[in-house]
Amino acid sequence: MTNAPIHLGRLLQVAHLTKRYGHLAALSEVSFSIQPGEVLGLIGPNGSGKTTLFECLGGVLPADGGALLVDGRPLTAAELKATVFYLPDLIAPWPSQTVRWALDFVRGYWSVPWGHPRGLAPSLSPGLSLDVVRRLDLEPLLDQRIGALSKGQRKRALLAFGLLTPQPVLLADEPFDGLDLRQTRDVAQTLRYFASQGRTLVLSIHQIGDAARVCDRFVLLSNGRTRGEGTIDELAHLAAPSGATTNNLEEIFLALT
Amino acid sequence: MRSRSAWTWLVAKEWRELLVARAFWVLLFAIGPLVGVTFIGAVRAYAELSGLNGNPTAGVGEAFSPLIGVWAPTFSACELAAAFLLPFVAIRVVSADRQSGALKMELQHPMSSFARISAKALVLIVGWIIASLPPMIAIGLWKSYGGSIYAPELLTVAAGHLLNAALTIGLATAAAGITEHPSTAAIVTLTVTVGTWILNFIAAVQGGVWERAAGYTPTAMVAEFQHGLIRLDVLLVATTLFVTGLAVGAIWTRLGVAVRRRVSESMALGAFAAAIIFAAAFAGASWDTSEARANSFTESDEVALKQIRSPLRIEAHLAAEDPRRLDLERKALSKLRRTLRRVDVTYVAATTTGLFEQTAAHYGEIWYDLDGRRAMSRITTAEGVLETIFDLAGIKAPQELDSEIFRGHPLAVPPKGAAAVFYGIWPALIVAGAFLVFRRPT
Repeated sequence: MTNAPIHLGRLLQVAHLTKRYGHLAALSEVSFSIQPGEVLGLIGPNGSGKTTLFECLGGVLPADGGALLVDGRPLTAAELKATVFYLPDLIAPWPSQTVRWALDFVRGYWSVPWGHPRGLAPSLSPGLSLDVVRRLDLEPLLDQRIGALSKGQRKRALLAFGLLTPQPVLLADEPFDGLDLRQTRDVAQTLRYFASQGRTLVLSIHQIGDAARVCDRFVLLSNGRTRGEGTIDELAHLAAPSGATTNNLEEIFLALT
Repeated sequence: MRSRSAWTWLVAKEWRELLVARAFWVLLFAIGPLVGVTFIGAVRAYAELSGLNGNPTAGVGEAFSPLIGVWAPTFSACELAAAFLLPFVAIRVVSADRQSGALKMELQHPMSSFARISAKALVLIVGWIIASLPPMIAIGLWKSYGGSIYAPELLTVAAGHLLNAALTIGLATAAAGITEHPSTAAIVTLTVTVGTWILNFIAAVQGGVWERAAGYTPTAMVAEFQHGLIRLDVLLVATTLFVTGLAVGAIWTRLGVAVRRRVSESMALGAFAAAIIFAAAFAGASWDTSEARANSFTESDEVALKQIRSPLRIEAHLAAEDPRRLDLERKALSKLRRTLRRVDVTYVAATTTGLFEQTAAHYGEIWYDLDGRRAMSRITTAEGVLETIFDLAGIKAPQELDSEIFRGHPLAVPPKGAAAVFYGIWPALIVAGAFLVFRRPT
């Protein structure tokens, strides 16, 4: 069994992912693909199963069925850990520690555990920390305790932690939640920048406007089921029989869900 | 890039988390006065019995051992801290990641869950060693008073309390791993601790298998170490329980694994640990590190006893709660088991107290059977038991040598300066340390 990350340039497929809580189906046979280097938006209203889906993919919640596939075969647990990093929403990790220390810890803790596969080395360079800090405007917060940060500040710090991890695929749960308009725009630019550097980003977003601004493709999720997948044009085509007449993502979403 | 391993990073993180745990500072703050109370009381009693403020030729202190007179009570403060303060520190360190959500991030590292938990355990043990500084200070004070120190017995006492702390850490880790919330983990941990006390009580009343099981409770284990006795079976059982506790904690902090699988893994682990504990119970080796040979017969008695090759069977008609049975066990049989390879002791009693059995025909009799020869005695002292056995074995009882008699180390000195150290300087240092840690952001 290898624990090397699946290299960028290969298609990942979420296949028939299912999760039940007793009789309640949180996820029902959810399937979609993740293309290398893209920013994929997972769109759905609150309670649609976005977080459950991410937690299953991130390996922090056991799925009842389905898998993440590469070349048609499921990733092993070790491959999954080396390939995908899940950044949860609504957490305040290491609240008594400073942002500076936490950034250092994340970089050190996740450094080189599985070698330096191509495409990961830039993520591990010390310069990346400075880049992330600068792009997310974290300099004034470096010596503040994480537990003392505001919601938006904490969200930016969390994103920095996620961006410092070496896995090629980053799943970020609600990356714009708690951010004001300007911060949302800046974070969106930052995420696009890292995607342009080769990182594959899957973002769970319930604000459709935010998603349209940053994502290349979309997966629409409602009641734990995939309702559509593709670019806006592809989704508009898919939604046309349901009455959607424009390329407006909100209309498309309403038509398909 | 720094070359520290991920585990080293984790240890550094756990250390920082320990330092910002208020429970840890409460432990540090409280243990100073706790040790102070016990140490000052013990030194005063020791001094009085050694002749302070009285007749210095009374000779009461002649057989006084600092191990029993000073160190056992002084270190008992550590037992209290391990039972009531340390669990909260351990639960804080283990549960904090789950509460803050950091666990979801850290779990995505390929490091094994047991390695993660072992980093926490290591830091907690280092934390406990720091919390054990007051007893170390007490040792320094005792030395400054001119007191005698016998390093092997002191190290044994300290090791016993370290092992006890490790057991608490193992238990708290398991509880914090299984339960969702720290308060539930605290309740579970304290329930188990109280449960072991109940087991000790039942053992005292019922005897038999309960007594055997109670021998491995933290209280019983610490008591033996405090008397300078190291038993291999106790060491193995305690180590197994500690590692099992950590492993259970590791199993239950793997959030991405189905609960059913975690349950089955825990059950398999429990069965494996039970098998090791069962096997360890047969390990008979033990070492008496006390200067007074408190757990052994005299060397000449041991040499004489080792001439006996046949199994010795003892049938004592004494109830579990009869004080004579306790005397017999502590003063004679426990030493006999350490010396003779094959000793089979059976207690016969119809009641637990023996109160209404006193008039029964054979109550109070202790029967010895060696190679078919039988003898009866009612004496429960070491000398009486040995005399009966030597008679039965046809061995001449050795003469007691003057050099073999432990004369003790009387010390008629009051605990000067101890109150200032434990009630003043130590708490002040801890408050200052906590202030510095919580004031600085890094």
